[in-house]
Amino acid sequence: MTPTIVPLGESALLVTLGDRVDRETAVQVHAATAALRAAAMPGVDEIVPAYTTLAVYFDRALTLRALLERTITQIVVDVMRTPAAFGGGRLIEVPTRYDGVDLEEVARSTGLDVADVIARHAERTYTAYVLGFAPGFAYLGDVHPALEIPRRATPRIRVPAGAVAIAGTKTAVYPAEMPGGWHLIGTTALVMFDPQRNPPALLAAGDEVRFVPVPS
Amino acid sequence: MITVVKAPFAATVQDLGRPGYRAIGVPLSGGMDRDALIATNVCVGNAPGAAALELALGGGELRFDGETVIAIGGAQLLAMLGDRAVPSWVPIPVHTGETMRIERVTDGQFAYLAIHGGLDLPLVLGSRSTMLSAAFGGRLLRTGDVFTTANDVVGGPGPVPSVTYDASAPIPVVRGPQAAEFSDDAWHVLLGRGFRVSSSSNRIGYRFEGASIVHSIPSDRPSEPTCLGAIQVPSGGAPIVLMNDGPTVGGYPKIAVVREHALGMLAQRAPGSIVRFVLDD
Repeated sequence: MTPTIVPLGESALLVTLGDRVDRETAVQVHAATAALRAAAMPGVDEIVPAYTTLAVYFDRALTLRALLERTITQIVVDVMRTPAAFGGGRLIEVPTRYDGVDLEEVARSTGLDVADVIARHAERTYTAYVLGFAPGFAYLGDVHPALEIPRRATPRIRVPAGAVAIAGTKTAVYPAEMPGGWHLIGTTALVMFDPQRNPPALLAAGDEVRFVPVPS
Repeated sequence: MITVVKAPFAATVQDLGRPGYRAIGVPLSGGMDRDALIATNVCVGNAPGAAALELALGGGELRFDGETVIAIGGAQLLAMLGDRAVPSWVPIPVHTGETMRIERVTDGQFAYLAIHGGLDLPLVLGSRSTMLSAAFGGRLLRTGDVFTTANDVVGGPGPVPSVTYDASAPIPVVRGPQAAEFSDDAWHVLLGRGFRVSSSSNRIGYRFEGASIVHSIPSDRPSEPTCLGAIQVPSGGAPIVLMNDGPTVGGYPKIAVVREHALGMLAQRAPGSIVRFVLDD
C-alpha cells in the first residue's frame, strides 16, 4: 500500500505504512524510521515507530507541517520499495531461566509439557515491534501459535523486574517491577531499562531477540 | 534547603519534561500546567524550566533553611507562611526556620511552588520531572524529604501576570488521526453539552463521564504512537485525554486532540468540573 500521512495533534504527523501486524510491515516501519532519522530533517524532534505506523514529532516554531509531509512522503515511498537496503536491527540474546510461576499453568492451558513450552518459546527469533506500556518494555512477536493464550483474567499487582512473559501473540521482558497481566514463564538477569545507561533501553524497535535457556 | 515536614498529598517535582525518549516508551512528563509553571519560575528569577513543586491537593508543611525567595502560582493555593497568607504570582522572601503550611488547592487542580534557583535533583534523561514508574524510581513527595536548591537563575525576582483560565471556556480541539472513522452522532456528542471530569483523572490521563461517544471502531487495532492531549475513545464510549505521564503508544481510536495552548486550561479542571470541547482547526 502507499503510505498515508495525517496530523497527530499540532506537532506530530502519523504515517501509516500497512494494515497488518506482521514482520513484513514491521521491517518497512523500522526501515522508514531509520531513513527518516538519517535524514535529520530540521525541526524534527523525535521519530517513534509502532506496529504499522510511525510518528514524526516536530517543533512548530522550526518547521512547517506541509513541508514535512512532502519530505516524509518522498522518503517513506522510497524506503517501501526497497526496505532491506536500510539494514535490519541487531540480534540480541536474552539469557533466560525458565522458572516462571505460571509455567505449569501455561503448560496445562496449552496442552503442552513444560519442556515443550520452553522449547517452543526459545526456538524462535522474535522481532521487537514496538516499545511502550512502560519505559523499555518491548512487544516481541510472534510466539509459536501453540503458545498463544489470552492474558490473565486478573493482572498481578506486582510482576518482578526481568520477568519473561507471554500473552496473545507476544512475548516480553518486564523492565521493572510493575503491575502486569501476562503469564510469567521465566526470568532474565539482563537490565532491560536503566535511565543512567546510554542507551537506557536494552532493546530498540526493529531489533531481533532470542531467548537462550540457562540453568535455573 | 527545604525540608518536607509533612508531605502534601500527590505532590511531585516537575520541570518542562523529558522529550526525546518516546521511542523507548518514556512519556514526556513535566508540569501539567506548563504556562503556570513557567510564570511561577520567572517570578523568582528562575529559568522557565527550573524544577518546582507541583501540588495537586495540598495538606502539607515545608520548612525553609536559609534566606531565599519563593513564589506560588497556578491553581489558587491556600498557604500560610507563619501567620501570613501567601499571595500568588509575587516573589515572597522567606527566612531561615520559617515554615509554610500548604492547606489546599482551590479553583483549579495544580498549583506550583518555585524556589529561587530551582530544586536540585539529579537529571534523569535530561529532566528532573518525577515520573511515577518503577523504571525511574520516581515517587511522590514524602515527609522527611530534603531538597537543596540549584542555580537555575536567569534574572531577578519580580511579580508576573497571573496565569488563570475561564473555568467555563470550551476546550479547543483539532481532528485526531481517526476523526473520519467516527460518525456524525459521535462528533455531536464530543462537541455537545459537555462531560464531567472523573475523579479517576490523574497525570496519566483525564477521564470523563456524563456522555458516551458511541462507535464501532474495532477494539483490537494495533497500537500506534500517541500525543499529549489525544482524546482516545475506548469501546465503552467514555473519552480519555492523554496527559503528561500518559503512555507513548496505544490502540484506542483518537477522535480529536486538544490544542496545545489549551492543555494547561484542561489540566486545571478539577474532578467534577464540566468540560465542553469545541472544534478549532
